[in-house]
Amino acid sequence: MKKLQYFILLSLTLLLTAQVSADSVAGDVVRVVDPYIRAVPPGQKISASFLQLENSSDQPHTVVTASSPAAEVVELHSHIHENGMMKMRRVMKITIPAKGKTVLQPGGLHIMLINLKENLKLNQKVSLTLEFADGSKKTITAPVRKIQMPGMMKKMSL
Amino acid sequence: MKKLLPVIITVLLLAIMYVLFIWQPGDSSMQGAVPGLSGSGLPSGGDFTLQSLDGPVALKDYRGKVVLIYFGYTMCPDICPTSLSMMAGALAQLKPEQLQQVQGLFISVDPQRDTLQRLDEYTRYFHPAIKGLTDKPERIAELAKRYGAVYQKVVLQSATDYVVDHSSETYVVDPQGRLVERLPHGTLPEQILAAIRKYLQDK
Repeated sequence: MKKLQYFILLSLTLLLTAQVSADSVAGDVVRVVDPYIRAVPPGQKISASFLQLENSSDQPHTVVTASSPAAEVVELHSHIHENGMMKMRRVMKITIPAKGKTVLQPGGLHIMLINLKENLKLNQKVSLTLEFADGSKKTITAPVRKIQMPGMMKKMSL
Repeated sequence: MKKLLPVIITVLLLAIMYVLFIWQPGDSSMQGAVPGLSGSGLPSGGDFTLQSLDGPVALKDYRGKVVLIYFGYTMCPDICPTSLSMMAGALAQLKPEQLQQVQGLFISVDPQRDTLQRLDEYTRYFHPAIKGLTDKPERIAELAKRYGAVYQKVVLQSATDYVVDHSSETYVVDPQGRLVERLPHGTLPEQILAAIRKYLQDK
C-alpha cells in the first residue's frame, strides 16, 4: 500500500511538472486582432487579409499555412522594398514572438487569397483558418472592408 | 556555452542590422534606369499615347488638368490597390469643379494579363476619374523609363503564376504637361490632395 501511495504521488508530481513545462498550444495562446479582408473590384480573383497576431505565451509561435472557403488557394506573403521596387514574395511562415505581436498590414506581411470563388461583397464575413507549426489551428471570421491606412482619418475609410 | 549565447545573439543581430540598413547589394542596374534627370531631380516625363477601352488616350488630351500617373497591374494584391485607394481618397475630397481639372491614369505594366476591359472595370471601382491604360510592352517600357518607373516580371513558387515587382510612385503632371512631382508609396490622401491643389489652375 505504501508503494501505491508513493507511485500516485510520483505520478502526480510528474504530471504537474509536465504541465508546467508543456509547450503552449499556439491555437490557444495566439489572439487574432482586427482581422479584415480587403474589398476588391468585381471580377478580381485575388485579395489579401490583414490582421494582428498577439502571442500571450512565453514561447514564439509560427503560422505556417492558412485556408479559407472563399478562395482556392491561400498563401502567406510579404513585401520587400528593394531597388526602388515593391517586391511581393511568398513566405513559408509568419512568426509571432513570445509575449509579442506581429502585424499584417498593407505594404508588408499579408495572407493572400488566390482564385476567389466569388466576388467579395463589402462587409461580408469570410472564414479564415490559420494553421500553426505545432499543428494547432485557429479559425476566425474577417469582414470584407475597404483599406484603412495608419494615419488615415476614420471618415476617409477607403 | 550559456555565457557565449548573448554574444552570439548580439553578433547575429548586428549582422542582420548591417544587411538591413547599411549593406547595398551590388546590382543597382534598375536604379540606373532613370534617364534625363533634370535639375530638380525629376525624370523627363513627357507626352505619350496609350490604349484605353474608349480608344487611344494621349497625355496632351489633358492639357489644363493636373494628371496623376501610377504604373501598376490589376493582379497586384496589395501595393496597387493601396495606392489607387489613396489617389481615390484625394479625388473624393475635391469639389466637383476642381475634379473637372484632374485626371488619374493607371498604366498597366502587365499588358499580357490586363485587357482594356479589365483595366476599365478595375480603375472605375476606385474612382471614375481614374482611367486604365496600357499598350505594347515595349511602349510601356519606354514610357516607364521616362517617368522613372521600374518593374520586372518575377515567377514565384506560388499559385499567383507570376507577379510584377514595381516601383510605387504617383507622378504629378501639371496642366502644362510637365512632370512636377513624384509622390512616394504610402503618400496619404491629404498629401496627394495638397499636391493636386498646388497645381490646379482655378483653385
